[in-house]
Amino acid sequence: MGDSIVQFLETWSPIDIVLIAQNFDRFLWGALTTLELTIISLVVGGILSIPLAIIRAGNNPFLNAPVWAFTYLFRGTPLLVQTYLIYYGLGQFEWIRETFLWGPVLSQAWYCALIAFSLNTAAYTTELLRGSIVNTSQGEVEAAKACGFSSWMRMRRIVLPSAFRRALPAYSNEVIFMLHGSVVASTITIQDLLGVGRWLNGRYYLAYEGFITAAVLYFIIVLAVSRGFRFWEKHWLQHLYPREALEVKPTKGAASFRI
Amino acid sequence: MSEASADHAALEVVDLHKSFGDVEVIRGVSMSAHKGDVISILGASGSGKSTFLRCINLLEIPNAGDVFVAGEKILMHTSKSGRYEPEDIHQVERLRARLGMVFQSFNLWSHMTVIENVIEAPVHVLKIPKAEAIEQAEVLLNKVGILERKDYYPAQLSGGQMQRVAIARGLAMNPEVMLFDEPTSALDPELVGEVLKVMRDLAEEGRTMLVVTHEMGFARDVSSEVVFLHEGRVEEQGEPTQMFKNPNSDRFRKFLSRTMQ
Repeated sequence: MGDSIVQFLETWSPIDIVLIAQNFDRFLWGALTTLELTIISLVVGGILSIPLAIIRAGNNPFLNAPVWAFTYLFRGTPLLVQTYLIYYGLGQFEWIRETFLWGPVLSQAWYCALIAFSLNTAAYTTELLRGSIVNTSQGEVEAAKACGFSSWMRMRRIVLPSAFRRALPAYSNEVIFMLHGSVVASTITIQDLLGVGRWLNGRYYLAYEGFITAAVLYFIIVLAVSRGFRFWEKHWLQHLYPREALEVKPTKGAASFRI
Repeated sequence: MSEASADHAALEVVDLHKSFGDVEVIRGVSMSAHKGDVISILGASGSGKSTFLRCINLLEIPNAGDVFVAGEKILMHTSKSGRYEPEDIHQVERLRARLGMVFQSFNLWSHMTVIENVIEAPVHVLKIPKAEAIEQAEVLLNKVGILERKDYYPAQLSGGQMQRVAIARGLAMNPEVMLFDEPTSALDPELVGEVLKVMRDLAEEGRTMLVVTHEMGFARDVSSEVVFLHEGRVEEQGEPTQMFKNPNSDRFRKFLSRTMQ
């Protein structure tokens, strides 16, 4: 039975499914690498972006200007270029090669990708959060002032919790962009999901088998991510919706009437 | 300290001035509220009444003048750049916590439920244990008649309900004085009554209140004193029945005939 399926696929399938099945564990490892890179970058970049966004939303020119320059630079150049500059570029400086960071960190493709991705997503998330912070209702901030909140407590209890929630839908885009952007890792020797596709193509000259499999797996990950965000939005943004929308009552009567 | 403050006014404002750019909005207003006073501040729009109220808890920084909360002076000084500003922001924060404020546009924290709105400042400013704050908040929400909506978010309430929550939020700080900045102006006419009723109850309980309002009925029937502002000055001031019956100033007479038809 199993043999006949294999035979059928080998004869009739337009793409070599058996080859994909044989290498499927490699694809899963690649997907894991992609997820690791994406998640760690998002966490590091996300943590970095919070103080940076607070600075950008404030009006201290000495702090604001360098952060503005950072976000402008990282949003103004392609991720691929940033990754190359860190991976190929840093090694040209002898003093960098002599630091203790060189061996364990900066000469490793994995860490270079992680640094580039983290800084890149930090830049985008900073600006996203800044917009959200700036758009916090002035009245709500005044109410907190009138209650005797210090400026730090206003930020921590009122502005940030509200800004995070409002930024959530836009942030889901950033997460998906970062996931897709992580393919850049495959250009600096990392076997991420696309890297495995490239390897398969390089070895067997079978482009579809490698790249369609990678594409399908990316698609599945994105599907899960957007599902997750939809769930979170329902939870964290419930204050924006009328109460009835949250308590959807089954309209059994109406349905049975139609049948 | 508390005994000394007993013979002080709950709130005293002395010769307050405020300009926005070249426009002088408040030109030397003084006022004092003793415990249990309900002072209605009336005036045409642009008379500076809201600005005056916002200067009391320094949401606007006045250009000159002094504010005393229960006898404690808010320390002000003139900075090197020539700006009149608070000397110690911590003192301002401490005294703000003793003045409850209710805004025209409610300004409830939209990401928090009703009960979270009410316990937020007691827990995080006054450092009251959460369980105690919740207990106290439920009493207050019951008092303003909205306890059954305590787990709703502000966007799920009507304007009148939101304003009653905002009043409960102010009361939760157990303030020396409650400041009301046109609390019914943003409400649909049929919702005004429920908010005024809550304010009337507070007045009867002996709450000290400063109310900027257009509700002439409230000013006449509930307040112990009425202050009429015109172009940033106190034009007339006195006991409401007397003032409404026999206004001294021509401007207040005209204002009355315009607003009470």
